[in-house]
Amino acid sequence: MALAYAVPADTSDRWIPSTCGMCLHGCGIKVMVRNGVALKIEGDETNPDNLGKLCPKGNAGIARLYDATRVLTPLKRTNPEKGPGVDPRWVPISWDEAYETVARELDRVRRDDPRKLLCALGDFQRIVLWGWPAVFGSPNFFTSLGNYCGGSYHPVNGSVDGSFAAINDYDRCNYWIQIGSGDGFSAHLHLSGSAKRMADARMRGMRVVTLDPRCSVAAAKADEWIPALPGTDRAFVLGMAHVLLHELKQFDRDFLRDKTNAPYLVNSDGYLLRDEAGKAMAWDLRQNSARPWYEVPADAMALEGAFTWNGENVRTGFQVWKDMLADHTPERMGEICTVSPATIRRIAREFVEAAQIGSTIVIEGKTYPFRPAALNYYRGSQSHSNGLFDNLAYKMFNMLVGNIDVPGGHLGVPLDHRGFFVSPGEDGVVKPEPHQLHPAPAFKYPPDSTHLMEWFPIGFDAGQLNTETLLNPERFGLNYQPEAMLIYHSNPLWNMPETDKVEQIMRRMKFVVAIDIQHTESTEWADIFLPDRTYLESTLLNCLEPPAVTGHALRQPVVEPLGDTRDAYDILTELAERMGFRDDWNDLLNIVCGFTAKPQYLLDPDRRYSVEELWDRYARNIYGDDHDLEWFKKNGHAVRYRTPEETFMPYGDLRIPFYFEFIKRTGDQMRTNLEQAGVADWPLDNYQALPFWKNSQVIDDGARGYEFYAITFKESLHTFADTMVIPWLSEVSQKDAAVHGGILVNSVTARQLHLSTGDRIRLTSPAGSIEGPAQVIEGIHPQVFGVSNTITRSTITNPGVKTKGSHFNRLLTGSMRYTDSATGGLESSARVRVEKVSSGGVR
Amino acid sequence: MTTVEVAALGAARKLLGFSRSRVAVENATVADLLHDLKTLDGSTLYEHLVCEGRLRGDFAVVINGLSLKPDALGTRLQGGDQLVAMAILRHMHGG
Repeated sequence: MALAYAVPADTSDRWIPSTCGMCLHGCGIKVMVRNGVALKIEGDETNPDNLGKLCPKGNAGIARLYDATRVLTPLKRTNPEKGPGVDPRWVPISWDEAYETVARELDRVRRDDPRKLLCALGDFQRIVLWGWPAVFGSPNFFTSLGNYCGGSYHPVNGSVDGSFAAINDYDRCNYWIQIGSGDGFSAHLHLSGSAKRMADARMRGMRVVTLDPRCSVAAAKADEWIPALPGTDRAFVLGMAHVLLHELKQFDRDFLRDKTNAPYLVNSDGYLLRDEAGKAMAWDLRQNSARPWYEVPADAMALEGAFTWNGENVRTGFQVWKDMLADHTPERMGEICTVSPATIRRIAREFVEAAQIGSTIVIEGKTYPFRPAALNYYRGSQSHSNGLFDNLAYKMFNMLVGNIDVPGGHLGVPLDHRGFFVSPGEDGVVKPEPHQLHPAPAFKYPPDSTHLMEWFPIGFDAGQLNTETLLNPERFGLNYQPEAMLIYHSNPLWNMPETDKVEQIMRRMKFVVAIDIQHTESTEWADIFLPDRTYLESTLLNCLEPPAVTGHALRQPVVEPLGDTRDAYDILTELAERMGFRDDWNDLLNIVCGFTAKPQYLLDPDRRYSVEELWDRYARNIYGDDHDLEWFKKNGHAVRYRTPEETFMPYGDLRIPFYFEFIKRTGDQMRTNLEQAGVADWPLDNYQALPFWKNSQVIDDGARGYEFYAITFKESLHTFADTMVIPWLSEVSQKDAAVHGGILVNSVTARQLHLSTGDRIRLTSPAGSIEGPAQVIEGIHPQVFGVSNTITRSTITNPGVKTKGSHFNRLLTGSMRYTDSATGGLESSARVRVEKVSSGGVR
Repeated sequence: MTTVEVAALGAARKLLGFSRSRVAVENATVADLLHDLKTLDGSTLYEHLVCEGRLRGDFAVVINGLSLKPDALGTRLQGGDQLVAMAILRHMHGG
């Protein structure tokens, strides 16, 4: 498709400030523009978020803007046959015809039953648009991108300190344990700035120990790489917790006693001991009695111990966990994760010694606890079917040294500019905020949503369950069948497990509309394609999960939009208008954009607003009338470092949960709800107040003859699989065979299986099979096969982009057996059998 | 008598039949105001938004930018207060 762009008369070079859109986080950038053409992108050195740095993805932004395979006009499918690889026979149509068709088809669904629309929405930077399906009337979430990584992670962060994510303190940490995460090295929070901060920390001598099945970038650049089996990181950490509690007996007693609910007494039924007024109780060592927690002086409050009160045996929450971990010895845990007991003991000792328990630091005149040792984690270590336990274990291990939200330690990262969602909950403890993107829907049977959101009161949106519910609706009481789909910058066919089942569901759709900038495996199924603008052609204000800073940066058009594209906001607004619910859409934007805080900025339900008007109000609502959109165009951003008050101890005088009673209570309530609804066989086993070791289904699959593990992993060069269609990034990726060369296999295992680099091999899991060339390397656990998440795509049309294998998610299972029963987090690893398909390698 | 500004969003707007209005009140609580706000079906906003003396879980009231706690309907209004009544949409997701 030919490119077309306006060429203004101005021939001088201009640097235009904006924000990057190549991943979700939005680093500050400046774009050099000449004759209306973007020529170069650099990091904006005035933006303290990324400090002038820019990752390879950001540098490749121009390749996306001018990608010859971009869709630049609305398209209509003329081939009624649909399927993978089937040519849709697109023909260009006018926007009016496209809108008319989409509005007619979706309105028909809406008038019948709006729940019959499945929605797959991505585009994290336009999070304010995510409410469109709700206004339409659909509760459905048909994608698995966000909860692939954060399904269990975000609810636990929100439950501890009202954060959305977390990161160790780059500036002050001296001993950093990294498990299953690329933070500071290759992925996750604001990579460009984080890599700079990590490099600075390493230069000043911070030690890094990385636990990972693969010698990732974080492992290769660490002081020590400890290979472990996938999904067993928690065993390693629980083994270290055992060492601290039972062997070294070193932990931050004051923090646990004074800043958590660890001293609260727990009955034998697992609930907190309460007085007649319902107040949680603690043990008063002076009076030798249980009393309401707030009446017990700190120096008399028992942190450890078992007591008898009114004939009932009670223990402190701390004691319950300590007893629970008595048999979680390094020997037992080491056998599970394949790390030697001696290593578990050594790392635990190094960690607790580095934490400097009892020390303080003065920052801007205020004294804080100083704990310069912390454990950082993300997808690889907790996107598993016991992800709740994983996240709880990692948080609580950090709590043992008192490092939560203190200098040097493990710091919460807020969702956005609003900061931590901290408010008083029960018993002087922070109110849990597991749902920060939307309030939790109440339990309902039959369920409204196809992903059963009503059945996950503390969970995330478990999009992977669609394959189970939509193909077995009677099992879940689902009393309707979706027949239309809205795809907006999302690729459910690629990001959900069990691709064959996703295809079955997509075949049932009578109408599919896609909003995107390029064709994907999912948009291939669309009836109408509505072309969006790229981040270099559109407007918004950006502030998402900033680890060290706060404040918005402006995304603004740096060139005239190419072709006949529209901003996604305009597209969704036009569709709302044509279907007669623009008033509700404006009202929803009022809520999502926070205009309810200052009613003078509320959108009028009877008016249509341009994208610039929307963001102008957004800016003024937060920063005042002197910081309107024009101010941002001139200044680029309002990003600044978070102050110590905004960073440290956001819980203030409140305690944070150590004993997660509310999780147990939620599970018991769910049990009652399900029994009353007559739902049998719904797992509730992960609704526990404390984490411990239990096998996952993946581990148990080993007994079914699946000898090896398979993992996928992220690369710094790519965002999801989205960016691998860019030839330049693909070319750079190909240069690193140890990452991108094929299906990674350890050299020892390769010898045992008679495999050489280049041999075609097949991995078969309980869910499906994939094939690809073997790449023999040293840097991967001998029991693990690794597949980059950007090793292949099936809709790539750009010349020069090579693919090396098939789609990893075919190995994953989307059912509840492979889903965390409390959070809905999916299982991101699989057990596999391995066989050689054909020789092709060089021995 | 003083006036408060009332904004109604979504379901609350449809119940009341207006999106913005100035309402005269005298020494009134939020509950009093909700009783005074007549809905198109002939009842009051109080009857739609309140259950057993508490704000229903699917509605929210924001006064001067701060969410009203469900049991705080006795909060007294001041002249010039800005009150927003809205339904809560519990399904909003992406990613």
